[in-house]
Amino acid sequence: MHELGLMFEVIKTVGRIAEAEGVTEVQQITLQVGELSLVIPSYLEDCFPAAIDRKPMFAHTKLEIETVPGMARCDRCGTEFNVVLHEGYCPSCKSFDKTILSGREFVIKEIIAG
Amino acid sequence: MDSFRVIEIKQSVFADNNKDADALRAELKQKGVFLLNLMSSPGAGKTTTLTKTIAALKDDLKIGIMEADIDSDVDARTIAGTGAKVIQLHTGGMCHLDADMTRQGIRNLGTEGLDLVILENVGNLVCPAEFDTGSVKNAMILSVPEGDDKPLKYPLMFTISDVLLINKIDAADYFDFDFDACAARVKKLNPAIEIIPISAKTGEGIDRFAEWIKRQVKQWNRQEENRG
Repeated sequence: MHELGLMFEVIKTVGRIAEAEGVTEVQQITLQVGELSLVIPSYLEDCFPAAIDRKPMFAHTKLEIETVPGMARCDRCGTEFNVVLHEGYCPSCKSFDKTILSGREFVIKEIIAG
Repeated sequence: MDSFRVIEIKQSVFADNNKDADALRAELKQKGVFLLNLMSSPGAGKTTTLTKTIAALKDDLKIGIMEADIDSDVDARTIAGTGAKVIQLHTGGMCHLDADMTRQGIRNLGTEGLDLVILENVGNLVCPAEFDTGSVKNAMILSVPEGDDKPLKYPLMFTISDVLLINKIDAADYFDFDFDACAARVKKLNPAIEIIPISAKTGEGIDRFAEWIKRQVKQWNRQEENRG
């Protein structure tokens, strides 16, 4: 359950940026969460109300989460595959050695102010 | 609807904290204080290891300890018995310390005359690995009862640590802990990591950890002189 701390960090960062932009109310926050980022989207959603509690800027904020697939290239045969779907093993040659291409990100993509 | 606007941020959630941690490292460099971040699961033996390590180092280095816990001050009381300067930090329910909380802790501890500050992070193998505290080096403890497969389950913690202490080796006979398999898993994630088997209970291996710390502090101080 590290999502609570992460959600507070998101709100802190967004709050700072919104203030700098002269925004008084944030309508939506869009996050990108990689499948290999150790962050679980549904837990983020659960923690969101606690993170925005008593913060007027976020009174009506919606949380939007985009999932980024965890993709890798096999170091042995070069096949690109989804790491989660294949439990880490290359579906072509069964090797476990791979280079991660995407899915580690945990990014604040954008906010909608209004 | 015209008043709505989209502000592109495209920033890693950790970016602000990383920046803050870099700033704290620079401040500590100015003051000549080495910050070591000590992490592990709950119950791996951080406080006992610290107690023994302080005893091995206290003639060479002036040490300050920051005990971070969600609640209570039992660890700080234990450490206070060693004579080291110690403060208790409460994270208020949070499972880790970030750079800002670390900076506040250091301010409250006071670094005057100290060579080394050790932060005993919250017992947890996930979040403390994600949040840079501003430490110069990271140390982690894995204890024998936890099993040799921990590097497979918590890869990030083993990736960001500079030294791994394998604790409770005095209990190795009672557990199926494969030291070679564990070392191979850790080295695959982090080839540069140093692995030191210890027993905080008997004191075995603590001298090696103390030497490691002294070496790191010396190297870091030398870097500082070079920067002039």
